[in-house]
Amino acid sequence: MNEALLEEAASWVIRLRYEPADANTRRAFERWLAQGEAHAQAWSRAEQVLGAFDGLPARIGHDVLRATGKRRGRRAVLRAMLGLGVAAPSGWLAWREAPAWRADLRTAAGEQLTRSLDDGTRLVLNSGSAVDLRYGAAERRLVLVAGEVLVTTGQETQRAYRPFVVQTPQGEAQALGTRFSVRLIDDRTEVMVFEHAVLARPAHGAPVRIDAGQRGSFTRGQAGALAPVDDSAALWEQGMLVVRDQRLADVVAELARHRSGVLRCSPEVAGLRVSGALSLRDTDAALHALADRLPIAVRRLTRYWVSVGPADA
Amino acid sequence: MQSPDPLSLPAVEQLYRHHHGWLQGWLHRKLGDSGDAADLAHDTFVRLMAARRPPVLREEPRALITHIAKGLLIDHWRRRAVQQAYLETIAHLPEPQVPSPEAGLMIVQTLVAIDAMLQRLPAATRDMFLLAQLDGLTLREIAERTGKPVITVRRHLHKALMACMSAAA
Repeated sequence: MNEALLEEAASWVIRLRYEPADANTRRAFERWLAQGEAHAQAWSRAEQVLGAFDGLPARIGHDVLRATGKRRGRRAVLRAMLGLGVAAPSGWLAWREAPAWRADLRTAAGEQLTRSLDDGTRLVLNSGSAVDLRYGAAERRLVLVAGEVLVTTGQETQRAYRPFVVQTPQGEAQALGTRFSVRLIDDRTEVMVFEHAVLARPAHGAPVRIDAGQRGSFTRGQAGALAPVDDSAALWEQGMLVVRDQRLADVVAELARHRSGVLRCSPEVAGLRVSGALSLRDTDAALHALADRLPIAVRRLTRYWVSVGPADA
Repeated sequence: MQSPDPLSLPAVEQLYRHHHGWLQGWLHRKLGDSGDAADLAHDTFVRLMAARRPPVLREEPRALITHIAKGLLIDHWRRRAVQQAYLETIAHLPEPQVPSPEAGLMIVQTLVAIDAMLQRLPAATRDMFLLAQLDGLTLREIAERTGKPVITVRRHLHKALMACMSAAA
């Protein structure tokens, strides 16, 4: 295998998978891939590595690999044990001491996680999301690191009520007894409120109260205007995406959040309007459903590369 | 007439006769389990038949047998460590999140493969790679999370991918 091409394949994985890839990057990748058999082979090796992670629940993956990874230089350790005749490795149990890490909740693309906390609060993490839990004596704080979380706050059983706050890079959303979701979208935080209300506090701006049936977003500097939202916006919890007259590009982008790899929508069909219910649990089925309804074709360049374009292209 | 290939079946049979009992006993002492010891002794001889080190084998068969057996023992322990870490992990999960036993087998299989790919990576590289692969975090998000510059994160991820691609060969 050509080492230089493997290096290039690794760079493409980074540009396509670990960075927001724009259309130019994707076209450049397609040109690179089309150069010949050797390029295709190098890329398939990369896909082999990416594919090894398929179907692995993020949390289990982290915990187990963290545990086994703790045995640093374990080859040496094991060799030493061979010499000593010690039968069972036990040092790796030290991973339990890893702080914070175990408190974190994460989901991989296409995965969803529901967690009930001690105070009765229920969290649902959407695909590709991560939160840190920081429950203290004075407050219950959740740090949204990536993606989206749906929160249904529990009745505090402690004698003193602790406020419930979701922290994002742009500010905070404080629950006023409630069911709501918080999502990171680029450089803003979007809050949707399904019951009661939430107080949105941009890092450097005036707070805004968002009531049930409303959605609002904020940047670090300020909160934006409020817009209506209905309960179907939280249906991702049931693995459903309900859309009403939305642009295909936006719908495809939403599906892309729920699967691994690259899913792109070509500009020719980006503006088509879509209504209906789609499965988020089976995004391939959702793409088929879209193709049935619209004049589009779903093309699979590779396993991790799916593009939605015009039917006749 | 002497066979030109010391690993012909008769040669392996001869090695087996001379060394199998000893090997199984040695493995039993390491493992504390006679079933595992028998399996690994068997695997050692399977590997031996495929070995490409005839000179060593002719001069010091026991050294090569021990070398192969140690490698298998390490793999065995690594697999067992992954299995135990997996059981530990699911023991802490709320009931609905615990995978079915069938799914569990697949997950352990997946984890063993990933663990093998990651085994030579430094902890920091490994952690960043897992944030990208398991959590779908971007370079920028990993940089924010770890407090490292994006360019450093990129270097770690590149290194991790290269290591995994060569291990996946």
